[in-house]
Amino acid sequence: MSYKPKIVAFLCNWCSYTGADLAGTSRMKYAPNIRIIRVMCSGRVEPTFVLKSFREGADGVMILGCHPGDCHYHEGNYKCLRRYHLLKKFLLQMGLEEERLRLEWISASEGKQFAELVDEFTSQITALGPCKVKETVETIL
Amino acid sequence: MIMNDIRIGVYVCWCGTNIAKMVDVEKISEELATLPNVVIAKNYKYMCSDPGQDLIIQDIKEHKLNRVVVAACSPRIHELTFRKALEHAGLNPYMFEMANIREQVSWVHTDRTEATKKAKSLVAAAINRVNYHEALDKRKVEIDPSTLVIGGGISGMTAALELAGAGKDVFLIEKSKELGGYAARLDLTFPYFYSASQMIRPVINKVLHHEHIKVFTEAEIEEIFGYIGSYQAKIRQNGSSIELKFGNIIVATGLKPFNPSVINEYGYGRLPDVITSLEFEEMLKSGRILTKEGKIPGSVAIIHCVGSRNKNYHDYCSRTCCNTALKYANQIKSALPETHVYQLYADMRAFGKGCEELYAKTSRKNVIFMMFDQRGKLPEVRKAGENDGCNLLINFHELLSSSDVEVPVDLVVLMTAMEAHENARDIARAAGISMCGNEFYIEKHPKLDPVATTTDGVYIVGTCQSPKDIPDSVSQAKAAAARILATISKGEVEVEVTTAAVNEDICCGCQTCVKVCPYSAISYIEERNVSHVNEILCKGCGTCGSACPSGAIRCRHFTDRQILSQIEGLMEMILLEEEN
Repeated sequence: MSYKPKIVAFLCNWCSYTGADLAGTSRMKYAPNIRIIRVMCSGRVEPTFVLKSFREGADGVMILGCHPGDCHYHEGNYKCLRRYHLLKKFLLQMGLEEERLRLEWISASEGKQFAELVDEFTSQITALGPCKVKETVETIL
Repeated sequence: MIMNDIRIGVYVCWCGTNIAKMVDVEKISEELATLPNVVIAKNYKYMCSDPGQDLIIQDIKEHKLNRVVVAACSPRIHELTFRKALEHAGLNPYMFEMANIREQVSWVHTDRTEATKKAKSLVAAAINRVNYHEALDKRKVEIDPSTLVIGGGISGMTAALELAGAGKDVFLIEKSKELGGYAARLDLTFPYFYSASQMIRPVINKVLHHEHIKVFTEAEIEEIFGYIGSYQAKIRQNGSSIELKFGNIIVATGLKPFNPSVINEYGYGRLPDVITSLEFEEMLKSGRILTKEGKIPGSVAIIHCVGSRNKNYHDYCSRTCCNTALKYANQIKSALPETHVYQLYADMRAFGKGCEELYAKTSRKNVIFMMFDQRGKLPEVRKAGENDGCNLLINFHELLSSSDVEVPVDLVVLMTAMEAHENARDIARAAGISMCGNEFYIEKHPKLDPVATTTDGVYIVGTCQSPKDIPDSVSQAKAAAARILATISKGEVEVEVTTAAVNEDICCGCQTCVKVCPYSAISYIEERNVSHVNEILCKGCGTCGSACPSGAIRCRHFTDRQILSQIEGLMEMILLEEEN
């Protein structure tokens, strides 16, 4: 069977989740690999959520928040951005390709940009191939 | 971990054919019925309909369900509907989770097998999550009966008068020197040719002298904080800062006319006899329709859709320009019967009460209607030569006759588009409103709630939401006022309790949460060496929860356990589907 990447995405309620809904109401089409989990703010996304996703078998993880300056909670997206850079370093140290994690800003009106981003990220993860974290962890245990 | 006393009901919605045509809803509900703790799994045509909700209510009673999952549209649309259904059945509304299989599945995918798999995994994730949901009590807050209205145009003034008429205090903030907004700058209104100033003046006077309205002109919002029932704002007026307290907010920041000088073809700013519709209104008000040289124009061209319905400027229709252009034709013909009037339109859109009639009436008045291609080459306005006998020449391809034409005119009126006010973004940030890509505000629901926003206690009225005419603005303003009066008359309002809470047994007093909280809602209690969340100030963003190094902060309804189990349920189902 051909490889179909599994992608988990954490979307903030106010901008990016609304943007993803807009892609739907505008009937835009994009790759079906992405599974969205809603959080109130990208600032809520703990590194644990990302690591857990890889641990459970995700090949790629996206975090989407409001554009800088547009956060519904003033600056949650900045907090997320700081953690993201540390988390990327951590992923590298753990032997993962850092491209498997992406943080992007999608506003409530950017349904089109959302659809394009999903397609682009899906092909990036497809090119990277399957993530071995789950398999490796389970061999050790 | 599987708890014993959990009984989950799962409901998969067809949404007519919206979901069912791309997702095998019957298969999903059948297969998910076997998941742990799922007592019953059904599919139904319209879950949000009354019979759909009754289905849930009946099952809760009959099967003693204590958790409910609905897979349907976006939770942004119907989460509250279903939470209310749970409440009707005597269940805590937070024992509910929604899976979005319409906006994020059936409407965006084209492969039915893949879409069904995706939908199934999303519902499985929701089922796994709902296992860990906990009952939350709603918090009631008292409503401060005064209201802040931002913007002193016809929309803001109307809303203010409605509220003040009911004896409630209103603070009306206007950025410019005078009240009235753009409606006050018009001459006559369409389709009945009432004088705008005769309508607006009495409204302004009433607002200025109303005992319950305090007007702040030349004032700007600096900051808004608080929540429904208990907002506070800092405003700046004449260099001094004023603090106000109120319970609700009406945003009526209005419009900005499109600047046509960016459309090179029309020559605005370069050719003195090319003017905007607002400049033409001034001319009509003064009672003298004249060219720059002070001559009576022998012919006037009115160009429609300037900045509207054009992919280079704005995609949207500004809704009022066609009818205003018809009004101009009538006004010109009645003031200067000998003057030729040309309407250069892309599509005539004379909708609304009395407006199609105005179109029919105008077309019998010897007004020439000519159609240009908005998607192709725009009409080109240029200075006429000395022997042409006119000021300007317009060249374009006329679609109805399918021929290239040259129209000689003395005056060109550009029907400029409506844009959102330049301060719209600042106000959006202060009041917590989302914006569309074109800077207009996003309403809570495009059809069922076009007055409220996703922030409780914040309402949008008039052209800050979308281009509209005076009656539409007034209707929306009155609707917002009615909504606010309804909450005021209740005296208190229920608010979300999805705030953060500190487990003092685990908290080590590091104060990381205190530093990251954007609302200063967390304080450090020295004697116990722990942090404490002020639930009134907390808005539930969860940033403290993800920053807490010891895991002492619970973000209610978005707890670590809930989100992690959602991830587990999701991935398990994807892998299971892959094996099959």
